[in-house]
Amino acid sequence: MIKWGKVWSDFFIVLALTSNVGFIFSHDPYQLIVAIGVNLIATVLKFGAKKILAAELLATALVADLHLIPATFLYFSGVHIPLAIGLAIGAAVANVISIVLLVVEIIFEYKSEEEY
Amino acid sequence: MRKKKKVPHYGNVKPINYQAIYEEKFYNILFQLRFPLMTVIFFTTLSVLILMIINNKADGVHVLNYFFHTVITLSTVGYTEGYDGNISLNRFFSSMFIIIGFPIAYLYGLVATVNVFMNSNIQEIYRYWRMYKEMNKLKGHYIIVKFNDITKETMRVLKRRKIKFVLIEPDRSKEEEIRKFGVDYYVFDEPHKREVLLGVGILDAKGLVTAFEENTQDIAVIVTARLIRPDKENFYIISTATNEGAAEKMKLLGANEVIVPSVTIGRRIASYILHPPSPTISKFLEKIAYGERTDIDIIEIKIDENSDLIGKKLKDIHMREETGATVVAIIRADGKMKIAPSGNTEIQEGDSLLVLGHPKALRRAEDFFERHIVEDKDEEKEQEEVKAND
Repeated sequence: MIKWGKVWSDFFIVLALTSNVGFIFSHDPYQLIVAIGVNLIATVLKFGAKKILAAELLATALVADLHLIPATFLYFSGVHIPLAIGLAIGAAVANVISIVLLVVEIIFEYKSEEEY
Repeated sequence: MRKKKKVPHYGNVKPINYQAIYEEKFYNILFQLRFPLMTVIFFTTLSVLILMIINNKADGVHVLNYFFHTVITLSTVGYTEGYDGNISLNRFFSSMFIIIGFPIAYLYGLVATVNVFMNSNIQEIYRYWRMYKEMNKLKGHYIIVKFNDITKETMRVLKRRKIKFVLIEPDRSKEEEIRKFGVDYYVFDEPHKREVLLGVGILDAKGLVTAFEENTQDIAVIVTARLIRPDKENFYIISTATNEGAAEKMKLLGANEVIVPSVTIGRRIASYILHPPSPTISKFLEKIAYGERTDIDIIEIKIDENSDLIGKKLKDIHMREETGATVVAIIRADGKMKIAPSGNTEIQEGDSLLVLGHPKALRRAEDFFERHIVEDKDEEKEQEEVKAND
């Protein structure tokens, strides 16, 4: 059976990466707004999860946010646009780590299910 | 392949981590914030994006204005409109947004967020979390089971002596009373469970006091504690019992001392009849015996078989000058007691000294006797021989 709560949060974790990558290649302000909104939602969805890697997942999401928020300011203020793009790339790396952790967690869960 | 862990002798029980329980309560609060915050972020992003698309402007000043417009709309403040030009389309969007987005993002999102904080008494959770964090560091403490008049008196004395203790109380409704009484560490749980005793650090504790009104409950606690700490010398269990028979059973099951309140009180009354109390002497002795005074105490020091004090006279060891404590009695190896020994009394092997004095002096006295323990007697003899030859 599919757990819809998990679909919901996984959806946003992956979407955070894809929208971020979209911004890196398009340099488009609309895409940036989508990216930061989705990243913030992905962070909030990780609040209070009591899984094995919950702390690590939350940490990576916070890293991505702390890259994207200054990136947004720099981008819309019109100065240092290359730096804004650089920060977005940093956020994308954090997003990739987040997805790797997600996969690791899925494997752990699968294993612990087997034991019982 | 998993390694087989060594199962401890008391069974494979995991201690309850009280600190983690309260940490989890804090996470639960965060968990409740997920969807309210998500809706707020979602509608804010959506509104900014749509305003950007409608006005076809994506420069910094305009985006900031659209963000401002969204926030003042959602928060029902509404200072001014955040857009210029294309007024009718913008107003149409704003109306639609207020009809759809406002109830969800404001009434659900923001109000639920505030509600979570209002209803979750974070202060209380933090207080307990901090207490258990400190409790997990305790070593050499005592565990006291049940909050009642007997243990209250015990705790009062322990507090005066600055001895740490953890109270286990099965009844949560006594929380207010316990807090008022000023207990530093307490848990509300069933004391006869192994995981609870392990959770309050029985493995590092010095002893346990159990004082239920019912013998069966006391026995359950004694047996559980003795199961985890089988060594009677290193873990001291004191209990109360309602009759002598139960007291005997408890001793056989592992209690070091069992007090039957009715018997103790009866004897006390009889002793008052036999020895009419002198206000100064009996109170003084009582206070020493029951540890009510903090400036004087009495301890027993066993003379180690390797001590170089054996065979020496009391006046020659100069203990009183060095430590300030006084030897008030000597108990010989055969159990005979010599009260108020003179300076010419010789210390023999197997003796125990009763030493009276200020607690600090007593600590010095303990050090004094420890210093006089010689690791190897033969070595000492050799040294003496060398000295004699010189």
